[in-house]
Amino acid sequence: MPDRTLHILNKPPEHYRHHLCLEAIGPEDGLVFIENGVLAVVQLPTSAPDRWYALAPDLEARGLIGQIGEDRVISFDDMVELTATAGKVISW
Amino acid sequence: MSTLIIIDQPPYGSWEGREALDMAFSLAAFDQPVTLMFCGAGVNWLRKGQNAGKVGQKSVERNLAAAPIFGVEALLACTEACNRYGLTQTDLLDGVTVTAVGPELTSRYDHVTFAG
Repeated sequence: MPDRTLHILNKPPEHYRHHLCLEAIGPEDGLVFIENGVLAVVQLPTSAPDRWYALAPDLEARGLIGQIGEDRVISFDDMVELTATAGKVISW
Repeated sequence: MSTLIIIDQPPYGSWEGREALDMAFSLAAFDQPVTLMFCGAGVNWLRKGQNAGKVGQKSVERNLAAAPIFGVEALLACTEACNRYGLTQTDLLDGVTVTAVGPELTSRYDHVTFAG
């Protein structure tokens, strides 16, 4: 697997770093929405990479669990796995 | 091991911004060489002619100008933010490089982090 970067985004769409993160994502990178970041799943930005996921507990807390496909929902353990296998992790 | 610290809090308005800058400098002093990237409202730290005395603060212009001594390898400023705040190269402190935020930038560093 190439040295891919995993971006972890906990900022809501209006937050400046939410925008900055999307700017810094390469086509091969992965993106995980957590905490307030999951609010973005309602209207996903076009610049989101193919490999994006959102954390189940945060989706459930906000009543968003039904809004996205099963394949996009990850557990906390899945996220730990993603961070372990990523070349680099950036927490925005 | 190279580190890029992104500073996006504006200057002097709150302690948060100053703490971010102080943290970045202290990281630079202990860590491997560090590059500071000023983004969003943070680019305003780099405008020449700061005089913060009347708001009861010390101007950081001198610290930033002496950044290399603090172990800071480079001062970068986000192109988009500079445009938004009307900052041309002549308005910026000496030695600041204007560059865009993107995968090419973040891929050049082992660690990308925020100082606050």
